[in-house]
Amino acid sequence: MAGRLGILIASVAAAGLVAVEPITAHHSAAAAYDETKKVEAQGKVTRVMVKNPHSWVFLEGTDEKGEKVEWQIEMGGVTSMAWTKEALPVGAAVKAVGHPSRAPGSHGMTAAVFSKADGTPIGPRGGRGETPPR
Amino acid sequence: MTPSIARLSPKRCAGIVAGALLLAAMSGYAARALHAQPETPAQVPDLTGVWDGGRRSHPTNSATSPWAKTMAEGATLPDGTPAGKNYVSNFPELNERALAFQKIFDEPLSPKYDCQPSTPPALPYDPFPVEIVQWPDRVLLRYEKDDQLRTVWLDGRQPTARDYGIQGFSVGRYEGNALMMETTNYVFDITGFDDYNGIPSSSQKKVKERYWKDGEQLKATVTVEDPMFLRKPASYTMRYLPAPKGYKLKAFECDPEAARLSVQFIPPRYK
Repeated sequence: MAGRLGILIASVAAAGLVAVEPITAHHSAAAAYDETKKVEAQGKVTRVMVKNPHSWVFLEGTDEKGEKVEWQIEMGGVTSMAWTKEALPVGAAVKAVGHPSRAPGSHGMTAAVFSKADGTPIGPRGGRGETPPR
Repeated sequence: MTPSIARLSPKRCAGIVAGALLLAAMSGYAARALHAQPETPAQVPDLTGVWDGGRRSHPTNSATSPWAKTMAEGATLPDGTPAGKNYVSNFPELNERALAFQKIFDEPLSPKYDCQPSTPPALPYDPFPVEIVQWPDRVLLRYEKDDQLRTVWLDGRQPTARDYGIQGFSVGRYEGNALMMETTNYVFDITGFDDYNGIPSSSQKKVKERYWKDGEQLKATVTVEDPMFLRKPASYTMRYLPAPKGYKLKAFECDPEAARLSVQFIPPRYK
């Protein structure tokens, strides 16, 4: 339901998902996002910023206390984002699942998979480091 | 009627002598300038075109590519070939200064978060197209990533003390079937060797590159020397594939807001 927006945080720190190569603090994406975990957010699209080096999708949702939060979802560069023009219009109610940001209290995500409220998938997986298909 | 030298005043005579000396000096300069130009090679290899440096050409850049301490047998190397059983690490041997920089490195310091372009050895390996244009006196390398243009001078000129810049100063020559390049005069860059492993580069960085055609592929060997941070030169060999026919480079136009946003998600290391 578009009007009722909730957030479910689901940590999936499965050992099998941990990369073999140790992730150092210098690995730029790993410095900002925990690639061993998944987080889910639901909300309304408020802005889509299709830019280089990385694009961003902003969702307005609510946290477990019912307070408004803004999710900032980092995506790929311009050439990998053409699908968002029609598939992620401002105001659409969507669900996003991706790797959560590391800073305590932040609401960031990358490598997100989007779907509609009914579960229908939207677009490809997008995240920092995703390069344009050629 | 041309005046004879006997009829010229001493002042005019001095002017003629000065002019002659100037002409003589200029012709000597021209001779030296011509001498400085390398001989035209018998055959200039055709490297022109738009080349795809994306994931179908080589593994995407990461903490383990193109610099890897270990590689599983059969894993794809930057040049598109499979790693052998006895893979030899190409990871740079860092000196104590480099290790100290790595230790204190703080990700938000990385200048890429303010759209500062990457430089070699990272730039050629970034997963984007590059266009090569060959002119008689120079080669132009246009990178889609960060809208960068590198000019490789073939006419024998050398950088001066005023030629420092983020992409340094490149000179080159053709040797056999290859373009040989050498770039110096870089400015200090805290992630100038590799941003994934937090390795800086100094104004002593020297990058030697060799580009050649291997069938339909463009191969490149990139070798870096930097006595401020590396104990010995480090090198990788990569490949590009031809870009799809008709592909035109796109403007990158890095956006400072989009580039900086994720910094808020990095737990602060220093107050």
